[in-house]
Amino acid sequence: MFLQQIINGLTIGSTYALVTIGFNMVYGVLELTNFAHSSFYMLGAYISLFTMTSLWGRVTREGFFIGLICSIIITGCLGAAMDKVFLEPIRKRKGAGITALLSTVGIQTAINNSVLLIFGTVPVEFPDVFQLGKFYIGSNTVVQRIQIAIFVLAIVLMLILSYLVYKTKLGAGMRAISQNATAAQIMGVNVNHVITITFFIGTAIAAISGTMMGVYYQRVDTLMGASVGLKSFAAAVLGGMGSVPGAVFGGFVIGILETLFAAYVSSGYRDAVAFVILMVVLIVRPSGFFGQKSVNKV
Amino acid sequence: MSEIILKAENVTQRFGGLVAVNNINFELRKGEIVGIIGPNGAGKTTFFNDITGVYMPTEGKITFKEHDITGKKPYEITALGMARTFQNIRLFYRMTVMENVMVGMHTRTDANLVDCILRSPKHRKTEKEAEKRALEVLELTGLLDYRYQYATSLPYGLQRRLEIARAMASNPDVLLFDEPAAGMNEQETADLMEFIRKLQSMGYSILLIEHDMKLVMNICERLYVLDHGNLIAEGLPEDIKANPKVVEAYLGAGGVITDEDA
Amino acid sequence: MTAAPKNDKKGLWTRIIEVWAKNSRLISLIFLILAILFPIVFNKQYYITIAINCLIFSILSLSLNLITGYMGITSLGHAAFFGVGAYTAAILSTRMGFGFIATAILGTVFAAVFGVLLGLPTLRIKGRYLAIVTLGFCEIMRIIELNWMSLTRGPQGISGIPKVSIFGLQCVKPIQKYYVALVLLIITVLVIMAIMNSRMGRAISAIRDDETAADAMGINVFKYKIMVFSISSALAGLAGAFYAHYMGFIDPNAFNFDQSILILSMTIMGGMASIPGSIFGASVLSILPEVLRVVNDYRQIVYGLLLAIMVVWKPNGILGGFNLKHIKQRLDLEKLKKKGSEEKEAENNV
Repeated sequence: MFLQQIINGLTIGSTYALVTIGFNMVYGVLELTNFAHSSFYMLGAYISLFTMTSLWGRVTREGFFIGLICSIIITGCLGAAMDKVFLEPIRKRKGAGITALLSTVGIQTAINNSVLLIFGTVPVEFPDVFQLGKFYIGSNTVVQRIQIAIFVLAIVLMLILSYLVYKTKLGAGMRAISQNATAAQIMGVNVNHVITITFFIGTAIAAISGTMMGVYYQRVDTLMGASVGLKSFAAAVLGGMGSVPGAVFGGFVIGILETLFAAYVSSGYRDAVAFVILMVVLIVRPSGFFGQKSVNKV
Repeated sequence: MSEIILKAENVTQRFGGLVAVNNINFELRKGEIVGIIGPNGAGKTTFFNDITGVYMPTEGKITFKEHDITGKKPYEITALGMARTFQNIRLFYRMTVMENVMVGMHTRTDANLVDCILRSPKHRKTEKEAEKRALEVLELTGLLDYRYQYATSLPYGLQRRLEIARAMASNPDVLLFDEPAAGMNEQETADLMEFIRKLQSMGYSILLIEHDMKLVMNICERLYVLDHGNLIAEGLPEDIKANPKVVEAYLGAGGVITDEDA
Repeated sequence: MTAAPKNDKKGLWTRIIEVWAKNSRLISLIFLILAILFPIVFNKQYYITIAINCLIFSILSLSLNLITGYMGITSLGHAAFFGVGAYTAAILSTRMGFGFIATAILGTVFAAVFGVLLGLPTLRIKGRYLAIVTLGFCEIMRIIELNWMSLTRGPQGISGIPKVSIFGLQCVKPIQKYYVALVLLIITVLVIMAIMNSRMGRAISAIRDDETAADAMGINVFKYKIMVFSISSALAGLAGAFYAHYMGFIDPNAFNFDQSILILSMTIMGGMASIPGSIFGASVLSILPEVLRVVNDYRQIVYGLLLAIMVVWKPNGILGGFNLKHIKQRLDLEKLKKKGSEEKEAENNV
């Protein structure tokens, strides 16, 4: 029973982690809370589904991968376009960070309602292309192989992104901008270029995550982003804003604790768990687990 | 000699393994101008922050006008009569020059929330007095004509001066200046020197950290020299200039300090 | 903040603002009269309902402006305090028969208490984390409202909340409710103006601009944050109490995160640290969905895009980025100087 809860918690945690990674990468560079991120996550799932089902009139594994690639490219480009059209002008005019936040809220509303208009409120079935099946641990603990796939995906994406952020030239540019955009500009970093690429990568990852969630739950609906979106903020803060491994860690912690709470204490309050943990952690450790401590320099 | 107004005893400040300030004893007497000098990273600003309450000293005791202020918060220390300026100018940039100065008067006014909301006579009286005093301070610092401009629209030298005006507005006994001449040209520095002397004649005791040797040597009565967190010398400017330890810290062995060195 | 405009080439907008700054009292008075006349001229339930919405959201937007615009703390959970006020009023009036005045006062007080309770442990947290904490608080409150069946009746909400009544006078007609809301808005505006035009207001602005320097000037930053946070919550609670009596029915959905974001949008789009801005922002975003009924299904999409475009167009908010008082002071001083130099010239000529 307990093991089953842990496995379920890890799976839900992987969901949160997958949403949080991309969000947190953008946050790390821009300090921008991107409300549209969970919308891209939902949109990515729909694009994958739509492409794979309209190809050849039947569902195949190849179709799935083509759909996924289309989704990554389209969603990524939309993310980059959002930055170019709505966020870059605000940066250029030195608008407050909160203005950019509001702009992402507007885009979130627009995307969510566009999807709603095209696909309707009824959840759409996502065909089970892989049919990975399940196995048992002991007599009553079920593990679906897709759960393992999602967990592995979260870890792999974390490693790839960590490599990108900490080991590549692009990553150096990102980190430079996050510390001081003006200085980075002077040192020859093409700031707006790097930021746009960051948005592309962040939203592309959202598309991958959304698609995987479609595979796991075997359905997509317009609210799938909203339910994890807010918790992914909590996960991001918990792990430390801007930290890639922190995002995954935060996602897992929230997923597991919330599942255990629902199983053993109260299911009605399960959605509050993430935020209660968040508050307690921040009161004790004001920069989250992996966040850098800032010294007040005078 | 006049009485001691500010005193630090064995103050040490560590950050993790780093000793930023090591066992420093210091005193400022009433009406004095005292300078703290030293190369970059000597611990001057850290020591300053210990005195003003931004940091809590790891060890030691700081006394101000008979009050033990060790570990007190900056706002509490300001209320006792100590006011400071910052190395990197920190003005309230979306407020006017006049409002900046009036913020400085915060501890000298006491209308509370209810007074403010009900516009009580007490509120009106303090508001009137604050305005009058702000105009006085602005007049004194030569900023009166700029009073309704935004603080950031002032030229650099005047921004520094506004920081001083804001500090004066809190009606302190001791003024602490953190590199007041940083970034100033020669004329501005000369004006500043004259102004600091004027402040002294008005009865303020002044402690300043400075890189500009000319300024320090010209106006400070006594100097403390820090290097790598340690106090390596203290005394009259002439003695400091000739002190081999100081010369070494600044210029390496064999150098000579002239007035031109910054 | 926009810098002082150059004298030689003034744009139309700058001129308008200068005229406004010079006659700000008169213009406020005109708007007040228009607000009083509105329900008499447009005496239709549909218009008055929208107008009351504008008034309620103006109070919310203004109260949020106090912490976000004037003090610089972003709150993503303002609807939670609106909810505390509304639930306080709903529960006290349906179960214990309290009247509107009593529930309004208690709703305000309760919301303030919640503001302090949230603020005490969290207001030392750095800004960007604090925003997420306020978001979390809003979610927690919503979940409590959904689950504490015995107190809040959960998702069914509380219905049958008595109408607004003042000293036994029942406000049945929309026009009466409108005037009650207008009075509450005026109270809110006066409270905020009184605070901002005092030493407290200067301390609040100072904290927004530079906390470290404010601390060094003798301002107890933490105490101020708690105080402003609780005043802001209190005003939201007041709006909530009115809302409960006005609607007659409340459920947790009215106080969720989306509502918080809506209020924040009003504050920012209208203009940070601007009273007319908040009222304008609240009115635009309350009226816009009604206007957009013409585009029907596309309503929300257009709404979202318009919001995004508006903040790109005016990053400081439509009525933000200028301070009427500062402009008036500067203009008066310029006039005085001009007069002085003219007199001198005249003397020289003689």
